[in-house]
Amino acid sequence: MKFDVAVVGGGPAGLAAAYKLASAGFRVVVLERGREPGSKAMYGGRVYTHWLDKYLPEFRKAAIDRWVTRELVTFLTEDKAVTLETTTERGSFVTPLVSFTSWLARLSRDAGAQIVTEITVDQLARDERGRFVGVKSGSDFLRADYVIDAEGVNRLLLERAGIVERLKPETVAVGVKEVLKFESRKLLEERFGLGEEEGLAWTFAGYPTEYLPGGGFLYTYRDSVAIGVVMYLKSWDKLKTPVYDLVEKLRLHPYVAPYVRGAMLLEYGARMTPVVGINMAPPKFHYDGLLIVGDAAGFLLHTGVLIRGVDFAVASGVLAAEAIRESGDPSAEALSIYEKKLKSSFIYPQLEKFRNVDRILGDETLFRDLPIFATGVVNRYFTIDDKHRTLFEALRETSKETNVSLFKLLIYMARAVRNI
Amino acid sequence: MKFVVLTKAAVPLSSAIRIDPKTGTLVREGVPLTANVWDRDAVEFALEMRDRYGGEVVAISMAPPTGILALESLIGMGVDRAILASDRAFAGADTWATAHVLAKTIEKYVPDFDLVVTGEETIDSTTAHIGAQTASWLGVPYLYYVYNAEVRGRTLIAKRFLEDEGVDEVYELKMPAVISVLRSSQIPREVKLSRKLTAREHLQIVDNSKLGLDQDCVGLRGSPTMVVGMSPAAYPPRKRIVISGAPGEVAKKVAEVLRELGVVCAVSGLQ
Amino acid sequence: MKYFTIEERLNANAWDVDIHKPHIVIKDPEKCRHCEKKPCTYMCPAKCYVQQGDYLVLSTEACLECGTCRVVCPHGAIEWNYPRSGMGVWYRFT
Repeated sequence: MKFDVAVVGGGPAGLAAAYKLASAGFRVVVLERGREPGSKAMYGGRVYTHWLDKYLPEFRKAAIDRWVTRELVTFLTEDKAVTLETTTERGSFVTPLVSFTSWLARLSRDAGAQIVTEITVDQLARDERGRFVGVKSGSDFLRADYVIDAEGVNRLLLERAGIVERLKPETVAVGVKEVLKFESRKLLEERFGLGEEEGLAWTFAGYPTEYLPGGGFLYTYRDSVAIGVVMYLKSWDKLKTPVYDLVEKLRLHPYVAPYVRGAMLLEYGARMTPVVGINMAPPKFHYDGLLIVGDAAGFLLHTGVLIRGVDFAVASGVLAAEAIRESGDPSAEALSIYEKKLKSSFIYPQLEKFRNVDRILGDETLFRDLPIFATGVVNRYFTIDDKHRTLFEALRETSKETNVSLFKLLIYMARAVRNI
Repeated sequence: MKFVVLTKAAVPLSSAIRIDPKTGTLVREGVPLTANVWDRDAVEFALEMRDRYGGEVVAISMAPPTGILALESLIGMGVDRAILASDRAFAGADTWATAHVLAKTIEKYVPDFDLVVTGEETIDSTTAHIGAQTASWLGVPYLYYVYNAEVRGRTLIAKRFLEDEGVDEVYELKMPAVISVLRSSQIPREVKLSRKLTAREHLQIVDNSKLGLDQDCVGLRGSPTMVVGMSPAAYPPRKRIVISGAPGEVAKKVAEVLRELGVVCAVSGLQ
Repeated sequence: MKYFTIEERLNANAWDVDIHKPHIVIKDPEKCRHCEKKPCTYMCPAKCYVQQGDYLVLSTEACLECGTCRVVCPHGAIEWNYPRSGMGVWYRFT
């Protein structure tokens, strides 16, 4: 059992690497623990396409359910909601990750990569000098000149190899979601005011996470929606509702319920997601014989409102493939070209730029004060009783009632605007 | 010795099938298929016997091409080779017509078989017909609920456990024979990387142009039974019960609880 | 609108459970007995961890394989692995 490259994990990062390497004539094997590529795949629901056009333009032939044309952000409390909406130009699409992953798997297979399913890798194999020389699964040892670790956020293998420590609650969030199927594609389009192939991406702040760091989301697939909640693990202590009931609370919220009424539950899933981006990166992305891509490397950008995982994953996989192609040999020195590529691509600079975002997001201002304050102000401004308030009066009254200091909020906004 | 294992590409758990509450019809999209869960006991049983007595294990399934995945999985467990009988003419078959195809595939491709092993039943239709019907098509003896067996000459000495009666029985069967294996009586081995890597090379697909079966004996036309109706059942809630005490007492209480829940039958001498 | 219980939600999924070998093991139940806050009972999206009298009971059969329990466990008491041979949850629509 000898291959040029062994890829651990058949997700977007691993498969993108396998596809590029197989296309370049390498003997590639992908080891996937699921029954089929995609059967362990979970995410929010959306893929950003700007960088995919550069790194994997073939994606336009993929199973794309809808292009996001309506973008909504709602500050939500128990009884109030303020929504910002914008129309967008096809910069992202929504589709089940299963569809995207199985498409990418077909592409890789057609290019000559071998995808072996139902195989859980137990260990990255090293030789006596510590170089990575393959993988171990049960009693089997598969030898490979290069190993690409695309195992995902849990990164048990990197931990066992002593490269990273056990994940800390501060570095990850848990995303929980339901997929709800509508009677027809048409009904979904009517409900959400969408044309054919048009999609909606909706994020919620405040209520879904009980005003703790995280948020809610809703994406429209072809004839179903993905609705879910992302909850930062670090604040579990303050959570009153167990995590398994948060999605249901969002689905049944009077502001959300009318949109999903009558839809049938198709699936319920969960996964963790990195929230601190580059802060949870391993010490290096390349070692003797080993490259680390995707979530395992912390390549996911999380700004509280936007989450970008798939484009980072795919691009890092493509760069790892390029690095292997150009390296000549699997030494860490030769593979350092991978790090150079990461730094000159969008991946490293963008993650670096948002390095501090989690500290801002950690502040309760964004998740508690802002939703409560914003919904209060707007509600007051539009309420005509014996008084007819100016905007300033509405601001002042809300500040008084909610105990949210207007001054503090402004300072926060100034900080947030620069960092988020 | 030549062992044949029969398997069905089945839904792993019936919860994966959903019936649209409005229309009452099956939701067909996204129904996953894998080797029937209880067939893994049969595979382990046959592999263990092969390891003891030598020979070969051949897995056979009748399924659309999606059945390839299920057979590859069994090859991954250690089955030596697999045959998929697949043809549009076989579609819509009930157990009788399915057993016909399976028996004819065995006769044609593994004519010198010693033992055919099946799972207790399928998890997604639970008829437990296939073993008995295949045996009658082949004209060989059949024994069900087997959990252990050994070979002496041309005789199979098989042990089986009958839960309702609470009895252990020992049978002697002249081989060739068909047995079905008591579910959960084996600990199925894992799918191995080294086997899975070359799984496709050990898989053969045959259609009716090769099998040459009478169109009236296969598929919907060859099926004397039909499904006339379906109704969804309510899901039982998950239960967790903590029982503590000395091991003997705990065992007694566990048995009591299981009986109360109807998971096992009230029998004396339950082991 | 009706509330979907966690059981109803989990029953919507396809599973192929390894009934012989659980992929999660509590290494030291004593640690759990003395664990004050028990974040696993709160943070597991599948409600796999339930406090039952004096004991913490783990049922792995409807695990969504997210890994949260291992991360939130304050005592490192959870030995967590992926299921083998393709078993566990089988996502089809997410």
